[in-house]
Amino acid sequence: MDLLRLLGPLAWRSLWRNPRRTLITLAVVSVGIWSILSFDVLMKAWAASSQAESLRLLTGEGQIHAPRYLDDPSVDHSMPAPGGALLHVLDGLGAWSPRVRAPAIIQSEYRTRAVTLAGVDPAREREVSDLPAQILAGRYLAGPADGGIVIGADLAARLKTRLGKRVIVMAQAADGHLAEIGLPIVGLFGNTTAVQDEFVFTGLSRAQSVLGLGGSISEISFDIAPRATLASSVGALRRAAPSLDVQDWTTLSPLAFAMDTFSQTYTGVWLAVMFVLMAIGIVNTQLMAVFERTREFGMLQALGMRPGAIVLQVMLESAILIGVGVAAGVVLMLATLRPFAGGLDLGFLAAGSELAGGGDVLYPKLEPADALAICLTVWVLGVATALWPARAAARSSPVAAMGATV
Amino acid sequence: MSAIIRCRGVSKIYRQGLVDVPALRGVDLEIESGEFATLSGPSGSGKTTLLSLIGGLDRPSAGEILVDGEEITHLAAARLADIRLKKIGFVFQTYSLIPVLSALENVEFILGLLGRPAAACSARAREMLHEVGLSGLEQRRPAQLSGGQQQRVAVARALAPGPAIILADEPTANLDSANAEELIALIARLNAASGATFLIATHDMRVVAHARRRLGMVDGRITADERAGAPAAA
Repeated sequence: MDLLRLLGPLAWRSLWRNPRRTLITLAVVSVGIWSILSFDVLMKAWAASSQAESLRLLTGEGQIHAPRYLDDPSVDHSMPAPGGALLHVLDGLGAWSPRVRAPAIIQSEYRTRAVTLAGVDPAREREVSDLPAQILAGRYLAGPADGGIVIGADLAARLKTRLGKRVIVMAQAADGHLAEIGLPIVGLFGNTTAVQDEFVFTGLSRAQSVLGLGGSISEISFDIAPRATLASSVGALRRAAPSLDVQDWTTLSPLAFAMDTFSQTYTGVWLAVMFVLMAIGIVNTQLMAVFERTREFGMLQALGMRPGAIVLQVMLESAILIGVGVAAGVVLMLATLRPFAGGLDLGFLAAGSELAGGGDVLYPKLEPADALAICLTVWVLGVATALWPARAAARSSPVAAMGATV
Repeated sequence: MSAIIRCRGVSKIYRQGLVDVPALRGVDLEIESGEFATLSGPSGSGKTTLLSLIGGLDRPSAGEILVDGEEITHLAAARLADIRLKKIGFVFQTYSLIPVLSALENVEFILGLLGRPAAACSARAREMLHEVGLSGLEQRRPAQLSGGQQQRVAVARALAPGPAIILADEPTANLDSANAEELIALIARLNAASGATFLIATHDMRVVAHARRRLGMVDGRITADERAGAPAAA
């Protein structure tokens, strides 16, 4: 008879010799797993929200610039509009949007502020950015040639101006002269104060004209779906435009990348802390179970069971116990997630959530591969932890089974 | 008949604190195959210690022990476990059944350790339980059996693999008179039927009365060795 088939039923029944202790251990393991998975899911949801907030602002999943633009983001480092092989690759990837960006001064009749003037193609911009949908008053740009300007509502307040008024925008043109143009405010957008203070938008061709760029642009922002193809897509773009600088969001938005890394690290730390607590519980209860059965283990050895088989039996008990606990923890986690299938509304924490770089709504989702990795880690480490009580059991003296007296 | 158990100059000294306590003092003993022998003597005379050493549960401080021709005192733990599994059956004073297994499963378990197929284990376990008079009680767990019934299961478990030697340590100590008498008769019958060698450490004179060889121990030495004229009978 196969040893595992022989020891399996014995291990299962042995667990229920003391149901209260077994249930307590199961509760420790399942709550521990629930806690780790909950933490993992929430951290990932927060990181995803933070990433989406950041990338769907202007960054996109990647950008293409002229060489040295990232070091000196001025019109001096512009590039031609995409064509040929680059255009072919971009069209095959998903959404992309060309932009002109230049440091500028915006002036109302009362005040002046330093901003970044962005010339955009509104139709393409809507595909890579959420800003066009965040209009609080007025409208977004109608087309690449739109001569209006969209500014942040907060910036309008700082400039003491309002929708429908004109502002002066000054920026250094490609030929070196200071270009100056008056633009009517056609829309006010809402976002974080920092974004509202920094960016103003006008039509792409209007900006190119003002800055004397002809058909040149400052950057191309692109999105790729699904994310899994990002590395290969960036590779394809680099091959299509070897003279340009193609970077993905992990380089362009280090904060979003740090959030992603931070969530993974923090989950790992939490997993370690929870595992240590669980391990203490598992070892404690298993040691108690073993000490209570010292005589029985001695008797089994006296009957001819090898010490290795004793170790196997105790490990099997632990494997079953932790396995059932892990499964219960996953079920508990799924039940917890169910009410938040449509998203976890953090509207009541809006200000704090904004500070933390996340959105108002988190979308917690249990990734099967991540959950499996966490559960397997806990199970394997938990079973390994049980090696201690198992070895203690194997050291039980068979003489004790004889009730030996000298 | 040849000696299936052979002890030569076997001593065992236990250390208690700073004091050496001799449990066995140079025991020389030969038990022939198929014998029904008892070891009797006062508490502390070394009966259980001698059984433990013969069964490979402990190692002597000096001397050598041969079981079925194999010197066992220096064998590794795993090899000793194999010898116990295949050649030696144990019956303990306290029954020592696995409480979460039924009577049938307790017997099947030891056969399973031998690697026998499940169906063969089950058939042999039923046969042995029938042999010890427990037909119909196979599915009962130890807690659902009387002391006498539990000890019968232990005897069935010890004999199931067909060992050459059965070592029993005070098998009747926890039984009432009626159950003790039945168990003694059963052991005597099984000794005659199976041909296995029985060595029983006991205070119980009813067990001694059934033995064909009666060994007496005092202070770690064999002090008496009598052979009954007539074979043991059930």
